[in-house]
Amino acid sequence: MKVLTYAVLLLAMCAFGFGVYKAAGLLRSDTTHVQKPTSTYAESLPGTMYLAQGGAIYKFHGGTFTQITDDAGWTQPSASPDGTRLVAVQRHLNYSDVYLLDANGRVQQQLTHLQSSTVEANHWALQPRFSADGSDVFIAYDFKDAGGTYKVDLSILAMRADGTGSGQLWTAPNQYTGGDTDPVPLHDGGLIYTKYSITDQGAVHSQIWLTTSAGATGVALTQPEEDCGQPALTSDERSIVMICRHGQLQSTELVMASFNATGGSIGAEAVLVQGQLAASPAFSPDGRTIAFLAPVQEGGSFQLWTVPASSTSSPPTAHPITQSVGFDASAPPVWDGK
Amino acid sequence: MAGFVIAALIGLLAYFLPLFQSASTPIVTSGGGLINPVAGPTQPFTVLLLGSDNDTKFAPDQYNTQSMIVVRVDPGAKQATMMSIPRDLWVPLGGQLGMGKISTAYHNGGPQAAINAVETNFHINIDDYVWIGLAGLVKVIDKLGGVNLVITNPVLDDFYPDDLSTDSGPYSYYRVGLLPGPVHLDGVHALQYVRSRHGDLRGDFARSERQQELLLAMKAQAKHLNVADFPDIASALNGEIKTSISLDRARALFGVLDQYDSSHIKRIVLGPPYTSEGWAGDQSVVFPDWSQIQPVVSQNFP
Repeated sequence: MKVLTYAVLLLAMCAFGFGVYKAAGLLRSDTTHVQKPTSTYAESLPGTMYLAQGGAIYKFHGGTFTQITDDAGWTQPSASPDGTRLVAVQRHLNYSDVYLLDANGRVQQQLTHLQSSTVEANHWALQPRFSADGSDVFIAYDFKDAGGTYKVDLSILAMRADGTGSGQLWTAPNQYTGGDTDPVPLHDGGLIYTKYSITDQGAVHSQIWLTTSAGATGVALTQPEEDCGQPALTSDERSIVMICRHGQLQSTELVMASFNATGGSIGAEAVLVQGQLAASPAFSPDGRTIAFLAPVQEGGSFQLWTVPASSTSSPPTAHPITQSVGFDASAPPVWDGK
Repeated sequence: MAGFVIAALIGLLAYFLPLFQSASTPIVTSGGGLINPVAGPTQPFTVLLLGSDNDTKFAPDQYNTQSMIVVRVDPGAKQATMMSIPRDLWVPLGGQLGMGKISTAYHNGGPQAAINAVETNFHINIDDYVWIGLAGLVKVIDKLGGVNLVITNPVLDDFYPDDLSTDSGPYSYYRVGLLPGPVHLDGVHALQYVRSRHGDLRGDFARSERQQELLLAMKAQAKHLNVADFPDIASALNGEIKTSISLDRARALFGVLDQYDSSHIKRIVLGPPYTSEGWAGDQSVVFPDWSQIQPVVSQNFP
């Protein structure tokens, strides 16, 4: 009986020690845990939203996420004007291609074929956006020098949305800056995008540019020192929202202004979000709300946020829609009215 | 009762075992009196951060330092300064070595030679050093849960070395395409960000700026760590990092750094006009203009 008691006690002590070992592990900071969107619920937003996480595209409707592609390098979805089609990027190790998908994520057509067996002969096709009439798709694309130098800069290229014909080059990037990104086609056939420059002193700047036609010089809408990029417009193209960093490297500002495509200018800028790492904004279909991506806490993964699109004197309050999802911050939310 | 206390202690000991192991194995290399003792975290101290390509192209511990960053922390003034030294800076390396790129000092004489090269050329007293290789940096960042930073412009590189992979040869390469804007990067992508240099007008100077940015991002991320995280990190880093800093002192220094807001950290990159690119024989090098550099060094590293 005594032996049995000792044995039980010994077992209990071993179990207790093991429990302490496991409990110590539970005290670790939870810095890496990211949930799949489908395992979470979130506050319902009007309409339908498409977001990217971990190589898959998700549809967000009625507070529920639905995965609509495989986990296969999918990112940067964008909706057609009628909301029936998507274009999206599938990234691979050395190249990416743009695909036409239906609204449920089924591949309809591969629009680019950029894979090569020679590493440096591969290409990137990124950030696809439909033109206002849905007939063209604008992308950021890396042209190459024939000489095979190290220069790899992105230009904005337009191609037919049915995959026919050859692409039309719209912008000429500043060399060895990384080039031009974030195409946003306009109703009148023009384009806004982000252009990068490097000064003689080595300072990197980004500006929002407007160009009215392919190859036209265009005009800068923001100052170099503002370091603005990632523009998005309301559906009526009267307001613009963008991310500006003002030389900062660990925080950004979400800035809204009126936009005049005809006059080639933007109005007084209002800072809606500051002191955060806000990224990739998008207006709601009615233009009253802005969705963006930012960490909830410093160092955290990127969550979906919304903020009223109000340029009153006091900054409106932004609030997070998700808490632990970790979206792809380089893929702006696509907010469709349906 | 005593038995349960002992069982609990054994459980804790088992959990923190990697920490004790790393403290007792030679990840801490003091170099026999090389490193000057520091009174404590209340006094200003200077650390030389060294980063190397330590893939299979190189013999063990025969690496050049691709990254050299001097960090001075002044706990009293709550200020810190980071200064990146160009890897190709053409300087006297001391002894029989003559003139050479400062990045080769470590290859020729280990951390002591790297410290000597910085101390004698810049007239800076180095208190401690930390050396880390490619895989070590990736592991640190992954253990931190990744880092958040703002990519200032597209980082595109068609010839990024594929030297972390064991499947391909050490001279193989692949393409990097990092888009600008705020991002959350894991270790591999953060390494791409700080290591890529081919597609940028500023070449190695751009890389130096990005390396400083990564340090700030890692500092921000480290705020979330607690003592229960250390065994995991120590286990991951075993053999991947060399430093003159003991574990206890590292914890004390982390405590000091935690009090700093990144806006109080001054960043210096010795690009033009402090340096100019040129040729020394058949080597592409960076020539220092000491008349420009020394005032900056005197002011920020007294």
